[in-house]
Amino acid sequence: MFDFLLNPVYSTWILEGLLLTIEITLFGVMFGLALGTLLAIGDIYGKKPIKAAIAVYVEFFRGSPLFVQLFLAVYTVPAILNVQIDHYVLAFLVFGLNSAGYQKGYVKGAVETILGDQMQAGLSTGMSKLQTLRHVILPQAYRIVIPAWTNEFCSLTKSTATLAYAGLSDLISAGISIKGITYQIIPVWLVIGAIYLIWITSFSKLMDVIYEKKKIPGLELMMQS
Amino acid sequence: MADLVMEAKHVYKTYGKSNKKADTSTALKTQVEAVKDVSLQIRKGDIKLIFGPSGSGKSTFLRCLAMLDIPDKGEIYLGDECLTKPGVDLNKARARIGFVFQHIYLFRHLTALGNVELALRQVLKLPKEEARKRALDALTEVKVTDCVNKYPAQLSGGQAQRVGIARALARNPDIILLDEPTSALDPELTGEVIDTLRDLAKEGTTMLIVSHEMPFAREVAEEMIFYDEGTIIETGPPLQFFNAPNTDRARKFMTRIINRTTREY
Repeated sequence: MFDFLLNPVYSTWILEGLLLTIEITLFGVMFGLALGTLLAIGDIYGKKPIKAAIAVYVEFFRGSPLFVQLFLAVYTVPAILNVQIDHYVLAFLVFGLNSAGYQKGYVKGAVETILGDQMQAGLSTGMSKLQTLRHVILPQAYRIVIPAWTNEFCSLTKSTATLAYAGLSDLISAGISIKGITYQIIPVWLVIGAIYLIWITSFSKLMDVIYEKKKIPGLELMMQS
Repeated sequence: MADLVMEAKHVYKTYGKSNKKADTSTALKTQVEAVKDVSLQIRKGDIKLIFGPSGSGKSTFLRCLAMLDIPDKGEIYLGDECLTKPGVDLNKARARIGFVFQHIYLFRHLTALGNVELALRQVLKLPKEEARKRALDALTEVKVTDCVNKYPAQLSGGQAQRVGIARALARNPDIILLDEPTSALDPELTGEVIDTLRDLAKEGTTMLIVSHEMPFAREVAEEMIFYDEGTIIETGPPLQFFNAPNTDRARKFMTRIINRTTREY
């Protein structure tokens, strides 16, 4: 039943697919966190036109399917701009830009819960707004964001299935190819599903450990009382 | 005047109008004139104490002095530098002003030592070793040497506020502004903070304190300032207030606060 795994061609497809899925998700969530942070700060401190631009950005990336965004990026944007861009590069970018649309909300929410008193305290010591954000606000905000960021990672990992439409072979495309040749439909999807499950669970567990480790000592006690 | 450390000239601040500053906007719908034409001079070594009913604008005035709230009108001077002129580097100015908050506001993710060190590293750009040494000196001065590696949430209120004072003190500021440093603490913890302030007073630290700790005021303050409804009502040495305030409002307030103090202790 599972003998397709022993075929070196198939197992290579699976491994390559897994690798692409992992690469693009990790890049996406990290790029998304960095850009999401900039968007969050722009939305809090920016002037009206900046806020409006950020709102449009977020609504576009959150409100339209990732598949459509990927399709537009791969098949229309290069044509309009009349340039040739590698599909890999475009796909990485779309995943990052898409994730930023979600993560802006997580970071903004976390920053806003901290901003009031901690910004005052930072400014009072002579630090600039930027220094206070960098050394006081964001270190606390990122601690709060870790669970949401882990969810974003899980969701983005499974979204890599859309990559097939851009002609890139992720784990799902590997599955489609193998079942098309072997007709072992159920075993193939069981294996592919299990790989997703193992990877996502391990990474989430790692993030849980980091979340616990990074907790500010004593703070949870104070919140209960 | 060479020894003038800080001066306020006809400062005004009103809340509740279309204030676009995200940091300072409060949910107040009605206009509150928190500071109305307030002028004040503080010289080197002065210890002045502002007191008055809650909600009268004392804290706002103090925050205006540190430019944490920007006055609507009037001028704030730090030494001979006018802070209310456009284009002034307020971060640089605030680095020379120590500020202690009523609700302490320690950086929650840093230890006591980290709280004091941060501005020494980031603002004064001291090398690591020197920043650590100066932070430890400041923490020793406020007598919290036993919990330098604890986080704010692990400290008692009194310890936390003394760390707050150390954080303000470590930069050797020209003046320390203290906004009701003991009023958020449990009564049994105010004593240790008052002791710290008493030590600072003995060393000649220039301080402007908003406080209702009357025995402490009598002991250390050169001048007391009665503040009500956004402005200074009466100024004078402590004895004037304890014996016979000039204004009716100050007299009533003193009676109330002294009765309360004797009842509590």
